[in-house]
Amino acid sequence: MKISLEWLSDFVSWDDEPAALAVRLTAAGLNVEGIEEIRRTFPGVVVARVLEREKHPDADRLSLCKVDDGTGSPVQVVCGAPNVRAGITVLFARVGAELPGDFRIKKSKIRGVESCGMICSAAELELGLEGSGIVELETDLPNGTPADELYGFQDTVFEVEVTPNRPDWLSHVGVAREVAAIYGTKMSLPPIWNAVQGGESLGVKVRVEDYADCGRYTAWGAQRVKIGPSPRWMQNRLRAIGARPINNVVDITNYVLFELGQPLHAFDRGQLAGSAITVRRAPEKTSVVTLDGQTREIEAGTLLICDEKGPVALAGVMGLGNSEVTAQTTEILLESAFFNPSHVRRASRRMGLISESSYRFERGADWDMVERAALRALQLLQEHTGARIVPDWADRHDPDHRPADPLRLRVWQVNRVLGTAVTTDQVAQILQRLGLKVQPMGNAESISASAVNMMVHVPTHRRDLSLEVDLIEEIARIHGLDQLTGRGGYRIPGGAVKRPRDVARDRLRGWLSACGYAEIVTSSFMEAGDHDHLGLPADDPRRRTLAVVNPRHGGDTQMRTLLAPSALVVSRRNLNAGSTPPLRFFQINRVFRTDLPLGRELRQADEVLLPAEPEYLQLVVAGWRETGLGGVPADLLEMRGAVESLSAFLRVPLTLEPGTDEVWLDDGAAWRVRDAAGRVVGLAGRVAPGVLAAFDVDAPVALAEIRLDDLDLTPAPARFEAFIRFPAVKRDLSLLVPAAVSFGQVRDTVAEAGGPLLESSELFDIYRGKGVPEGRAAYGIRLKFRSAKGSLKGETVDAAIGTILAALRDRWAIEPRG
Amino acid sequence: MQEMIDRLRSEALAAIHAADGEPALEAVRVAVLGRKGSLTGLLRGLKDLEGDAKRDAGAALNALKDELTAALDARLLAFSGARPVTAHAYDLTLPGRAPAPLGSRHPLLTVLEGICDIFYGMGFSRDDGPEVELDYYNFTALNFPDDHPARDIQDTFYFNEKVLLRTQTSPVQVRMMEQREPPLACIFPGRVYRNENADASHSSEFFQIEGLVVDRAVSMADLKDTVDTFVRNFFGAEAPTRFRPHYFPFTEPSVEVDMQCVACGGSGCGVCKQTGWLEIMGAGMVHPNVFRAAGYPDDRYTGFAFGMGIDRIAMLKYGISDIRLLYENDLRFLNQFRGVQ
Ligand SMILES: [Zn+2]
Repeated sequence: MKISLEWLSDFVSWDDEPAALAVRLTAAGLNVEGIEEIRRTFPGVVVARVLEREKHPDADRLSLCKVDDGTGSPVQVVCGAPNVRAGITVLFARVGAELPGDFRIKKSKIRGVESCGMICSAAELELGLEGSGIVELETDLPNGTPADELYGFQDTVFEVEVTPNRPDWLSHVGVAREVAAIYGTKMSLPPIWNAVQGGESLGVKVRVEDYADCGRYTAWGAQRVKIGPSPRWMQNRLRAIGARPINNVVDITNYVLFELGQPLHAFDRGQLAGSAITVRRAPEKTSVVTLDGQTREIEAGTLLICDEKGPVALAGVMGLGNSEVTAQTTEILLESAFFNPSHVRRASRRMGLISESSYRFERGADWDMVERAALRALQLLQEHTGARIVPDWADRHDPDHRPADPLRLRVWQVNRVLGTAVTTDQVAQILQRLGLKVQPMGNAESISASAVNMMVHVPTHRRDLSLEVDLIEEIARIHGLDQLTGRGGYRIPGGAVKRPRDVARDRLRGWLSACGYAEIVTSSFMEAGDHDHLGLPADDPRRRTLAVVNPRHGGDTQMRTLLAPSALVVSRRNLNAGSTPPLRFFQINRVFRTDLPLGRELRQADEVLLPAEPEYLQLVVAGWRETGLGGVPADLLEMRGAVESLSAFLRVPLTLEPGTDEVWLDDGAAWRVRDAAGRVVGLAGRVAPGVLAAFDVDAPVALAEIRLDDLDLTPAPARFEAFIRFPAVKRDLSLLVPAAVSFGQVRDTVAEAGGPLLESSELFDIYRGKGVPEGRAAYGIRLKFRSAKGSLKGETVDAAIGTILAALRDRWAIEPRG
Repeated sequence: MQEMIDRLRSEALAAIHAADGEPALEAVRVAVLGRKGSLTGLLRGLKDLEGDAKRDAGAALNALKDELTAALDARLLAFSGARPVTAHAYDLTLPGRAPAPLGSRHPLLTVLEGICDIFYGMGFSRDDGPEVELDYYNFTALNFPDDHPARDIQDTFYFNEKVLLRTQTSPVQVRMMEQREPPLACIFPGRVYRNENADASHSSEFFQIEGLVVDRAVSMADLKDTVDTFVRNFFGAEAPTRFRPHYFPFTEPSVEVDMQCVACGGSGCGVCKQTGWLEIMGAGMVHPNVFRAAGYPDDRYTGFAFGMGIDRIAMLKYGISDIRLLYENDLRFLNQFRGVQ
């Protein structure tokens, strides 16, 4: 919304610079977002008379003119306009003049003939007048008169942000009320039709089918209207606030809308069929052409203004082309009405048509302004279109309409909510400055929860004031929010409770970032093809996504049911950007699953309607092509190690079991992650090559995912246990292990056969090749023995090792090496 | 032989220690290591020994020579005030090996956790709610009437008439109040969604943190106190704040909170669009209709609520000019947020 200060000053005066006024308005809640200085001047452009005109010797369509610009000696100028002729009075740009668009007039030669200036068209000066040729002025203007005296215009325009609760600020008069309240001055309203001049009778009957849709409808008449441009001052003001002047009648209805906030509509009376206007709902779907030339489908139930043939306007939204005011119009029917806000809103939404009218009606028009705005428009019509105003008018309004009840106000509650210590008198003064009528009640000194100190009568332009607390906001605004001072040392009741889950999550983030992983934040949406790219089977429950029904143009619609696609997208992006692998990422994010129970305490109704939003931790290693121990890819080893470390870090037992249920993981390179109860709570592994290709990732990607909601993240306090102070005995074994036997089998057998003395076993090497028989690998394993009873003797350890070797030989045909 | 070596060692070290200046030290050197020095003498005597004995004594004497030379050098340096340089053959300018490569925490979540920490310190608890939310909690219970222009402020993604992506963290307020009786002091951080096209300052997904305090008589002045304490702690400066009246359906009175621009100190700059102020949050006193939706009796409680955009605060804090950088997950961006923040 734009507010012209020049216009505003018609109704109120204030003693401040524009910038200071902007600060005051912003502090009162009308946020001034921009200040625009408009200075329309035409330096070097003057009134001149064309003395002679002859054809340019070398160009048929150009004229050679001599003009008198008041300097005394005639000036020669070439002109291209068809309507230039001797004797007319024009606007002449002298050499050195500056025209809009940084256009500077220079002496020039046009087809060999010298031209010292330019005869201007309305378009070249951006005057917004009708017609395409040069401007022809009244002939009695003295030559040399500066164009600024005729067309110069200066204004300061505020761009203001009007919140939906304050439709009264959508007009200059509304803002003037606020300025008056801020500066404690009076404001005035614009003049209205004083009924001195009468025409014939209106001859139109109005019927409103349902007052719930349209609380009030008034119709007014103006005859012998001469359509033409509106006065320059009106055009200037309209243009200053970004509206386009069209003709005097349309401009006047727009002008009143921006002045008083009440939308009006002017019908060409000559185009209306019959003598009855009916406000009714469309009985069925129909199609109409609106003023903007668009054909629109109208749903049944849309509120229409109809003549005796059919619809002539979409109530509160826009008129129809069939009754539009045109250059031929001579008689006008003017509508001023109060339409139901939510009805206008729904109609406007459904049609995707938001107009200045609908914008105001859906926020709530001012009941009392319906009549006044019409009278203002009639006054302007009479003055600027030569119209004769019809003395009678039609007025239909809801007989049950009552003014709003006065509001009870307790000063006690004012101070309770604001933390202030204002008095009854102060409160009353503030409300009166805002134009509210205050009726004192009881004893002004008595301030308590039950003492109503005043009744406040709210004018119709403040529909937003309907509760005591709304008045409290007004008091806060005007009293000044900068007056608020805390009581200092205020203690928040309750006291902080840090949830273990939040603590664990935060620690986890710190730890993972210290381990080399970069935290990422990825979109909750997934792309349409992601499920297919992952190769999820048709019956996979994660294909059952929630999809938004009104996505952005070209935006994704489906809520993600798993994190894997985002890992691949982020990997691809960074690999392509040339980051040096291995790349490490982690994220803790939600997915949206309609197939899982909610897992949080929500209301019963939620259960039916809402998806579960489990939170996952995901680790990603991308682009690592090296292999590690035993020829296993390094990224796989890291994922296994990461899950094991995570288990230790969170003090939550997690085990990895080779194998996977995910089709998008590489079958032979993945694990299920199980918790202590054996439930699958996550996975780890390499993404299958086909899936990498589908996501256009040209490097291996390994990842691990743990469903955090499944873990008990309450930190188990560490418990000290006495450790054994006797020294350990370390022995290294080199074992020839057949290819069919896994390390896990070796480890388990060693642990089982090692008995209570075996403290730990650790794999430190795998060797294949020279000196190791074909089909076998040499495992280097370090064993540590320890006893709680005392230092171990060599023989005891030897015996234990003997048992281990025997078990390995019996179970797996494993022999010690050399 | 070993006995002689041990005796020489202790005598020589004692003499080195006792030397009270460079001349005295030089005298000790000559006496021990000089051409006629005691150690030199012993070394000469090696030629009279044979086999293992010769080898052992040689090793011991050479070790002693090294030790005494080092002791003399160290003592000499002590006199000159410099520290000894051990003449190892290591290239100590070679790059080190990190215990682990350094990863990073996402700036958004660093800011989010940082804000939570401040509110923990002020006595707030933390809770969260669903991102796929009921229209009821996101709008209706927050006093956004159906068919009301207030709903236009937030372009919403809908799944159906009743279910949407929350446009704000405020619905958690109502869920919390339904479950608990005051006094309450709680924060609700989380992800929210708006159906908007992305540009340098808009993202369809972003993060907010909501705060709610309800008690018998908390006031707007208490809200101001709380905001000021937060700003002081988070921005680490005594930056003035101001309240501007605003409109949110679920608070009344409603305000927008500005703080003095951290970039220019209030004199006006590009960051604050020359105003000297930066908008950091929306806030207000809980609207009676919200208390009613939560099932609290009329008039019994007052409360305040506030909400701020984490993205905007992170952008201010780190000088990030385009919100989209926060969601691109480009390592060239993320790597700038390594280490302690
Ligand atoms: Zn600044």
